[in-house]
Amino acid sequence: MSPWTHIPQLLSTGITLGAIYALVGLGFVTIARASQIINFTQGEFVMLGGVITFFLHKGVNLPYPLAVLIAILSVVIIGFLIQLLVIYPLRKASLPILLIATLGASIFLSNTSALFFGTLPKSLPPFSSREPLQIGEVLISPQSLWVLGATFLLLIILYFLSHRTLLGKAMEASSTDPLGADLSGISRNLMLFLAFGVSAGMGAIAGIFVTPILYTSYNSGTLLGLKGFVAAVLGGWGKNSGAILGGFAFGIIESLSVAFIPSGYKDAVAFVILLLILYFRPKGILGSPFIDSRRW
Amino acid sequence: MKKILLTSLLTLALTLIICVPPAYVAEKSPYKIGVNLEFTGPWAEVTKTVKNAMVMEVERINAMGGIDGHPIDLIFEDNGFDLGRAAANMTKFTRNKEIIAVVGPFEDNLQATTRAIAEREKVTNIIVCPSNPMVRALKQKWAFNVAQSDIIVSQKLVDLSLARNYKKVLVFPAAIPLAKSLAEYYKNFGEEKGIKVIISQETHKPTDIDMTPHLTKLKPIIEKEKVNAFYACTTGPTGAILCKNIRALGIKIPILGTHAFGFGFVPALGGEAMEGVEFGAGKPVVPDQLDQDDPVRPVITEFDKRMKARYGMGLDQLAGHAHDTIWLIYDALKRCKGKVTRASFRDALENTKGLLNCHGIYNYSPTDHDGLSKKDMVFIRIEGGKFKRVRFPSFE
Repeated sequence: MSPWTHIPQLLSTGITLGAIYALVGLGFVTIARASQIINFTQGEFVMLGGVITFFLHKGVNLPYPLAVLIAILSVVIIGFLIQLLVIYPLRKASLPILLIATLGASIFLSNTSALFFGTLPKSLPPFSSREPLQIGEVLISPQSLWVLGATFLLLIILYFLSHRTLLGKAMEASSTDPLGADLSGISRNLMLFLAFGVSAGMGAIAGIFVTPILYTSYNSGTLLGLKGFVAAVLGGWGKNSGAILGGFAFGIIESLSVAFIPSGYKDAVAFVILLLILYFRPKGILGSPFIDSRRW
Repeated sequence: MKKILLTSLLTLALTLIICVPPAYVAEKSPYKIGVNLEFTGPWAEVTKTVKNAMVMEVERINAMGGIDGHPIDLIFEDNGFDLGRAAANMTKFTRNKEIIAVVGPFEDNLQATTRAIAEREKVTNIIVCPSNPMVRALKQKWAFNVAQSDIIVSQKLVDLSLARNYKKVLVFPAAIPLAKSLAEYYKNFGEEKGIKVIISQETHKPTDIDMTPHLTKLKPIIEKEKVNAFYACTTGPTGAILCKNIRALGIKIPILGTHAFGFGFVPALGGEAMEGVEFGAGKPVVPDQLDQDDPVRPVITEFDKRMKARYGMGLDQLAGHAHDTIWLIYDALKRCKGKVTRASFRDALENTKGLLNCHGIYNYSPTDHDGLSKKDMVFIRIEGGKFKRVRFPSFE
């Protein structure tokens, strides 16, 4: 059987995974643009979104939508707290120190989650019916459509936030020209504070929407976080459009590679392609504002 | 060190309170058993059950006067799901000459290490989890397994396939030693009985979060070969995702699972996608659905009652393994003649014959350190998110 016959089905899987990677990558980029920090707690925000919803829905027996809402809000608050308690006290430290600090915070979050919510994997019911939809040869689970819908909605909201509101423009300004932003009276700490809230919220939403398809447990954030980060670098570190393109590209490459080679090599293929792309385009597909082009 | 002190103090205090008459404690020294388990990390919740069950059973034994007046003393060490710490704990236990045997660890690669240390230091190592098939060939003298081996699990599953009249089964194994050997044994035993077994060239990792791509490639094979059943030869949580992925691709054939599906949280993970999944597992999975004349029924019912009374949760496979471990130790200690040493304990354990326990009847011999047989397993079907026993009279 020709591997080409699988392509449409694999593509649909790749796009779903890609949407998740894109959301996680976007969370990384939002914080990086506000401060150049690589925030490794991003994956934990994803995990916490799923785990807290599970706790509220199954443990406290709240209705599903309410549980989702409270979970998103609590993760946003956790995001704010991370900025206040970890990043703000270290604001004068150099970037590598901040990076290590976020890594520490991520270990703290995942272990706290293990203590409070247990270590067994958890899953949420799908938002709508379980019956897969058939479009031609391709079967799509309704939850994948939810994931895609949520991703596009978030992208639109984010676009309007950053291009159409004063707040968004202030955030944009503090990332493109920190000195200029300071001189115009924009508080960069406040902007970073807000950026943490936004990216935590995005992470939580990604986590909640994907938990019915996969499952979540206290240590599942690390892998998703890593893949989201890779996606953001692949597309062009520091660009929203880069994270989105990188996310979808990474998801689709990962999924399509299975058609041509045994699936055991899936992860290896994705990373080899990543290396190849970065070898020829070190700044990522769309280029990165943070990487000086003169160096290459 | 603090932990050991605390645990031993606690155990001592408990034995003091419970033991009637208390004179035993003062006169006779305790038999110390080391427990080297993953109390932190991904298995934390599961090992907690194991610990609870062990503590409860040891207290019970000590309350009955121990072994000729000697109480059993468990010394717990956490290996944190870490190979180095598991090895360090094991070495520490072997250096303490009072320790007679060590229980655990859980994870495949961790137990492979402690088995090697046990062999070198000549101390019994009782492994709670399904045995690593790679090390069975080594014919180790000091390592014993309490769980069902991959051989009997596969034999039971072949019986299930015969009972369901499956002619062709597709196996999708995980890329871990246990799953690979389960797949191989299933093929060997199945083809002896005339079942055509196709082992997929595609494998998956237990860490894979989405197996739709793999299954997309398998779907045409399933349709072309008219496969009767799909054997998800993998761990519990991965099995749950696998079932979801299969159903999301519109594949409707029956799914067979491994004994690792027999944990309460697995059907909860898989939801509706796991309805109708069948597998063979230990009897503690269905404590309330055993035959009236099943010899292990009273053991399981009693233990289930005690677990519910004390911890508010019934038994599962692992609590069963914990129970069996403690009573195997008790039984062997009882049969030790003269002073109990590491060597005499090992010999006694190896001579265990017909011991009634939760998971079945244990018979160890110099050539068999697995203990259980096919008869000690039951067929399970997931229905309404719960485990339901299915009976096939000619295959029980």
